[in-house]
Formats: sequence, structure tokens, C-alpha cells
Amino acid sequence: MLMSKAILIDTTKCIGCRACQVACKSWNDLKGGKATFSETWSNPRFLSSNQYNRIIFREIPRPDGGLEWHFISRRCMHCQDPACASVCPVGALFKTAAGPVVYDDAKCIGCRYCMMACPFQIPKFEWDSAVPLIRKCTFCAERQAQGLAPSCVTTCPTGTLLFGERDELLKEAHRRVGTEPKKYYPQVYGEKIAGGTSKLYLTAVSFEELGLTQKGFRTDLGDIPQGIYGRAWMSKVPFVAVAVGGLAVGLHYLHKRRSSVQGEEQKEDQSHD
Amino acid sequence: MTEKIEKWYPGEGKLTPGRAILYVILVLGLVSVAARMFFGLGATTNLNDAYPWGLWISFDVLAGVALAGGGFTMAATIYIFNLKKFEPLLRPAKLSAFMGYLVFVLGLFFDLGQPWRMWHPMVMWNPQSVLFEVSWCVMLYTTVLATDLFIIGLERYGKQSWIKFFRDIYLVLVVAGIMLSTLHQSSLGALFLLMPQKMSDLWATRALGPLFFTTAVIGGMSIITLESLISSRVYKRKPEIGILSSLAKGLAIALLVYFAMKVTDLYARGATVWVWDRVHFWFFVEMFGTVALPAILLSFQEVRNTEKGLLWGAGLAAFGVVLNRFNVSLTSYIGYREFGYFPSAMEIFTTAALVALGILIFDLGMRYLPIYRSELSGEPH
Repeated sequence: MLMSKAILIDTTKCIGCRACQVACKSWNDLKGGKATFSETWSNPRFLSSNQYNRIIFREIPRPDGGLEWHFISRRCMHCQDPACASVCPVGALFKTAAGPVVYDDAKCIGCRYCMMACPFQIPKFEWDSAVPLIRKCTFCAERQAQGLAPSCVTTCPTGTLLFGERDELLKEAHRRVGTEPKKYYPQVYGEKIAGGTSKLYLTAVSFEELGLTQKGFRTDLGDIPQGIYGRAWMSKVPFVAVAVGGLAVGLHYLHKRRSSVQGEEQKEDQSHD
Repeated sequence: MTEKIEKWYPGEGKLTPGRAILYVILVLGLVSVAARMFFGLGATTNLNDAYPWGLWISFDVLAGVALAGGGFTMAATIYIFNLKKFEPLLRPAKLSAFMGYLVFVLGLFFDLGQPWRMWHPMVMWNPQSVLFEVSWCVMLYTTVLATDLFIIGLERYGKQSWIKFFRDIYLVLVVAGIMLSTLHQSSLGALFLLMPQKMSDLWATRALGPLFFTTAVIGGMSIITLESLISSRVYKRKPEIGILSSLAKGLAIALLVYFAMKVTDLYARGATVWVWDRVHFWFFVEMFGTVALPAILLSFQEVRNTEKGLLWGAGLAAFGVVLNRFNVSLTSYIGYREFGYFPSAMEIFTTAALVALGILIFDLGMRYLPIYRSELSGEPH
């Protein structure tokens, strides 16, 4: 995709201050939730229709025996070829040329297939509302349209979040890995996974080691977008329709013809008697 | 002039205990549904961000549609494969199919976050989406079934010129019905093609479409059998054991085919089968208890020729289809999600009420439409 925006998330620079969470809430006018203690340190514990991004706190043993903190920002990946957009029966979710995967409030019927299909489990539903919609990170599409960076990027004090052209950010990511190979895990998460995403992650260790593969950072998705499976099925539908229809009509007339021929023969037999 | 059709079974029109129970369930469901519309899904169901689809999708939509597969199965058997001896089963099959789809559409209505936008797929298209295709097929197929019932209704009122018109285009309806059913029955399985990583290996397969289609045929045949046996008791008629026994032979074959498909698929993908955990437990119940067992039972002529044998065989098979839908859409994710899901009382009441409504509609059809009187048949011979 030409000139498509992305965010490079260099988690090694993150200090876990959660300013991005606050910025996201205030820009999107989302209500604050009640904070609770939990064994995960992360707060809040889950993304929701009221929480578009959050930082996952991970304390992992180092090879030398000590412990090390990792802070991983979780939000919509804004896939290059998003599964949510592929499955939405009314086309309420779609990928814009500028990069964001956006959502049209007026179209959604609330079937929640996007939530089932998203390999990163991102779309969330307004369960508390009697007129519910899907909510997720918008990549600040409306800010981008005015030439502004997403609010989380603007707020980040450590330069963890870098906003720019996807191609250039990929180059920058590989440059960082190349210059400091000891600091980084040598793969850019989001470069190829699920057909590529607009969020590119640099981590110190693999997501397997971080224990996040079942918590939104799957590494077993392959390099093809999930939507391909549905599209492959849909491409066969017209042929199946024609084949089944044709076969049904053909067999029906075949049987009809056979029984009328049988009837004629019976008549002939009777007349010969 | 409409002539009152004389009562044709004893007790017609009386409020029997059975009907009274159905009405009570219906009222419970109405209350639940009203609460759901007023307070929203979060307040009334146990659905959450980890389980966006629950009982209503698994039972009302997936299982309901599969069990209503009898309409197209019988139509294909009679008109396409020319097995005319099954004709007495066609009309009840159509009626139960229509009832099934009505219940399913209602169930989906309450499941949708914005039910008043249910018509959106008609004008807002996304041809990439399997669900888009399913919604179109279901809309059209429900129309076909409604037209079919309309013709049967016309017969009751003896509108001969209208009936003649529909007789002339009848093949179009039959072929459209079979085509649309083939598409959406299999596509309901294809909905799950996009999420193989989230699902258990036991059900995450490229073959979900054909497997769903086969189980819909099984579901359709077993429901026709059960419905025929039960209504012969309720309406005090002689059960058509002879025809049902032949149908059960077909059911046994379909079950065996499905078992073979499933084994081939699991073997080809190298799925881990022989493990003991919750997911595998339900898999074993499905495969051995509700596919292999009824297949074996119904392959014995002695079993097929008794009412009890037919009830057990078809009952197990129908239960197996329901279990399969639950397995694909819920059990399959147990290993993946951080939370559990069990439907709330209101979800259960709503589903129970939908089933009750279906039975009441079926009863209404049996009472007021010429379902078992094939001498009035509108189908071309």
C-alpha cells in the first residue's frame, strides 16, 4: 500500500507510564474506569469498548538470573488486509488508503462477527448499551485527516511510539535491529504477520517469551491475511450455485423424461396384448 | 366462500396441558426478550468480549438452521432424485422448515446488537463476507418457504386459479430452495474458516463447509422422523413406519458418510484425537454417541422398523447435530479464552420460548392447513 501511515512501537523504550492510555481516553472522550489491583500490574486488565489501548506489564527472568520489565502497548493493529473488514456483512469496517481501519456507526448491525474473526481480538462491543456499537482504536483517523499525529504518539514522553510512513518505519525498525542486535529480538512483529499490519513492534524478546501469544500477539498466524479464507470460499459460491441449480434441473427433467418414456412403453405393451 | 374444514383429529382446538406449558414458556421468553430490548445484551445475557457469540448463535441460528434442513432434503429427494414414496413426508417437512427458519430469524433478531438494522445487508453489500452471503440466502430461502406455505394455504381456501399459477412455476421454487439451502447450510460452517488458530484442532478445518452441509442433511432427516412420530402420537394418527424406516436407512448412510468424512479430515490434518480433556470429551460424545451409535442402531432393520428404535436413532442424530454446532462455536474455544461462558437464565428462557413458539406454529399449521391431506396436493405430480 502506497503512502500508508503506521506506528513503530519500540517497546524497549517504553517505561510503562500509561500516558498513551490517558491521551487516548481524553481524545476519544471515553469514561474513566475504576482502577483495581491485580497480579498483572496492567491496568485496566482488558481492552473494552471504553478502552482502546493499554500497556501490558510483563516481568520476565533474564538469562543472568535477574528479572526484567517489559511494557507492551496493545491496541488495534490496523492490518493491511483486515479480517474484520473482510467479514463484516454490511461493510461497516474498512481499511482506508491512509492506513487506519475505521468503522461506520451508521451501518453496523451488531452481529459481532468482527469480534469472532479478528486474529488479535480487538473489536469490542458496548455491552452496557441498549443501542450498542463496536468500538476499537481508530488510529486517530480524524486527527490524521487534519495532519496531526495520533494522540498516543503525541503524548508518549520516551519516543516509544513513532508515527510515519509504513515503508520508512520498517526501514527504521530494521536499522535499529541491525545496529543493536543484542537489544532487540530480530523480528519486526507486524511486518508480515497476517499479511502485515500498520502497527510495527520491536521487542527485546520474542512474544512467546513474553507469554503474550494467547493474549493478542499470536505468532502462528502466518503471513497471509485471515480474510483470504473467507474470500476463497466466497469465490466458489457462484459456481456451486450454478452447479447445484443445473444439476437439480437436469436430474428433475431426466426423471420426468424417463417416467414418461416408461409410461409410453407400458401403453405400447398393453396395446400389443 | 370458505368452508370450515371439519375437525380431523380428536381434541382439536382444546387447551391441552402440553399447550399450556408451551404458553407459559412463551410468556417467560417474552419477558426476557422485552428486558433484552430495554436493557441491552450486557444486562440480560452472559455474553462478553471474550464470548461475543453464545447460546443464541449456537442453538437458535446454527443448530436451528441445520435442524430445519428437512425442507430442502425432502424436496431434493422427491423432485430431484425422484423417490416419490417419500411424498407424504414432504409437507410436514416444509412446515417444520418454515417454523425453523422463523424461529431462527427471530432468534437472530434478538441477538443482533441493532436488530432494527437487520435489513442492512440488503442494501449495504460486502461480497467478501460469508455472513453477507448467508444473510441473503436465508432471506431468499425463508421467502421460498413462505411462498410454499402460502400455496398450501391457498388450497385450504380452494383458490384453484392461483394454485395453477404456482404449480406452473413450482420447479423454480424447488430448485431455488435446494440451491439456497446448499449454499447457506455450508456457508454457516464457512463462517468459522477465518479463525482456525482460535479453535480446537478437532473442528478447525478447511472442510467445515461440506461438513456443515452433511450434518444439515442429517439434522433435516432426523427432525422429519421425530416430527412424524411425535405428531402421529399427538394427533392420534398411525405412524408411517414403512416410509420412516426407508428414510432411516438414508439417515444411517448419511451418518456413516459424515463419520467417514470426519475421520478422513482428522487423519489428513494429523489432529490429536486420543487425549482426555473437556474439549475431547465433547468431541467423543459427538462422534461416538451421536454419529456412530445412531448409524449402527439404524443400520439394523429390526431397529428401523420399530417406533422406539426410530425415536432413539433419529433423536440421537438430531442431538448430535446440535452438539456439533455447540462444539464448533463454543467448545472449540475453551482452550483459547481466559473466561468461561454459560448462558444466563434470560438467554435460556428466550431460546426455550423460541422452541415453544416453533412448536405452537407447527401445531397451528397442522390444525389449519392441509398438511397430511395429499389428495389436495399443490405439488405437481
